[in-house]
Amino acid sequence: MKVLCANIEEVFREAAARWTLIAYFTLSTFFILIFAFAINLDIIDGVIAGAKIFGQAVQMGRQQVEIDSLVLGFESGFSGVLYVVGIFLAIFATSHLVPRLQEKGTVDLYLSRPVSRIGLLLSRFIGGLTLASANLVYLIGSIWLIVIWKTKVVHPRFLLGGAVILFMIAAMMAFAFLIGVVTSSTNVSVMSSYAIFFFSSILAAHDRIEAAVASEWTARTIQLLYWIFPKTAELGQAVVVAVAGNEAPGRLAESIGIAPFATTAAFGLACLALASWLFQRKDF
Amino acid sequence: MEHIIFTTGLCKNFRSLTGRKNVLALDGLNLAVERGEIFGLLGPNGAGKTTTVKLLLGLTHPTAGSAELMGIPVNNPESRRQVGYLPEGHRFPGYLTARQTLSIFGRMSGVRSATLKARIPELLEKLRLTEWIDVRVKKFSKGMIQRLGLAAALIHDPQVLLLDEPTDGVDPVGRREIRDLLLDEAHKGKTILMNSHLLSEIELTCSRVAVLRKGKTVAIGRIEDLTRTESQYKMVASQIDDRLLDVFRESGAGVNCQNGHILLSTRDVAHLNTLIDLLRAHGGLLSELTPVRSSLEDVFVDLIQTGEAGKKIGVKQ
Repeated sequence: MKVLCANIEEVFREAAARWTLIAYFTLSTFFILIFAFAINLDIIDGVIAGAKIFGQAVQMGRQQVEIDSLVLGFESGFSGVLYVVGIFLAIFATSHLVPRLQEKGTVDLYLSRPVSRIGLLLSRFIGGLTLASANLVYLIGSIWLIVIWKTKVVHPRFLLGGAVILFMIAAMMAFAFLIGVVTSSTNVSVMSSYAIFFFSSILAAHDRIEAAVASEWTARTIQLLYWIFPKTAELGQAVVVAVAGNEAPGRLAESIGIAPFATTAAFGLACLALASWLFQRKDF
Repeated sequence: MEHIIFTTGLCKNFRSLTGRKNVLALDGLNLAVERGEIFGLLGPNGAGKTTTVKLLLGLTHPTAGSAELMGIPVNNPESRRQVGYLPEGHRFPGYLTARQTLSIFGRMSGVRSATLKARIPELLEKLRLTEWIDVRVKKFSKGMIQRLGLAAALIHDPQVLLLDEPTDGVDPVGRREIRDLLLDEAHKGKTILMNSHLLSEIELTCSRVAVLRKGKTVAIGRIEDLTRTESQYKMVASQIDDRLLDVFRESGAGVNCQNGHILLSTRDVAHLNTLIDLLRAHGGLLSELTPVRSSLEDVFVDLIQTGEAGKKIGVKQ
């Protein structure tokens, strides 16, 4: 526990010293402030009578907009944006953790302590995940509170979206750790993680790609890659579905099952296990 | 005696990824360091000194052989519970202050926060870093970083210290302070294994040394044994004249007069006693008889250049 606490403290101190923490929270605060001050709603009997964005009145037309529907629509859509932004920021803020640990002259200081290598690597992983969670809680929690303040609508499912985002961050961080252990390069870790995020998003359309390719062997390879890689697109949809609940579009809700979660968790665990095994065997 | 550091046939072969290049960094090291000893590892660059320390700490995995620290195999992290390590060219995170550095590494060694609160200022005072306690490490000079490294190695009050070039970059006053501190720790029963290129430091600090060359032990033993020039003695006595010197020569001794004393080369201790008897028979009075010693540097250079293998003096296994 002492080792874990010491590592979490160091991750936060390093993030603060490198301005990552400050940039992370400044960007989030900027986002929150814009949201807090830009939007003003005039609600009468649960229906929006008028709305202003940056002081400019928005034409509502004759259609009555119920505030519950508006909040739900906004929060589910916004959680999709947070999914991408949150993952990108988390990878950027934590990818250096392993390469910096493995630097000559630094790794000796850590490994000469009575801590197992796997314990050290996992405590860095938990430290990184705690940093990402802190920002996510700050960002999502603040937006949620502002929505309550502006609309008086309390919609706890918005917070559920944060849990799915954190799940995806953990899987992507595991991959970044694996690349960090192998290459000892922060840049390669960041680039590989972003690449896998985009590549696996493309693989979401694997059915159509498989149908388009001529060779059966290629089609099978694409299918295999789809099942190996994390399901970034599907989990993005899962965030929206988790927030929207029963109001989610039927087609979207039907497309989300347990498989994307299970395979993404397997991918993250496999990456973390492989990273631990390689780190354990390394000569420093 | 209790062996605190013990290795048997320890080997390390570094292989390239393709397996084409092999470097035998350590070749069958047998080492037994006892409690309270300050043991020095000597050798030119690439001799295997740092590899030995890294193997003892589990930073590198042995190709063959075994190593134990306080009776615990080094592949068990618990073997490092009572070990303080100062690596060569260590790099503490520059964004941490001296206090934060010692706090983080102390807790990683299992020390409670309450204990650290008292121990950190105490250690930094001992190492003349009190004024720098809340200054970020990136502002420290090389000597100060070295002293902070020593503080980090001592933070959990370990029983064993493994030090790689402990006085590297430290000024002469600081070197003396570090030397005194290490001697003090050894008097308290701590066991110290140190690597250094500064042979004078080793000579002043260590009780025993091992000289490594190309991964092999070429000499191991007490410094006074290693530096003793076999069968050479300095004699100071009265009534030494040419007749007595001739008698000495006739007995087979090498005789060389220098600044009021004579240097005698004898076959063995019995021969030396014969010479003393001859002196007394001549009416001379012996006032000083001391074995002639080389400096550790002379011995080291000789061992490395000639590669004299297997010279083992006073090996305690």
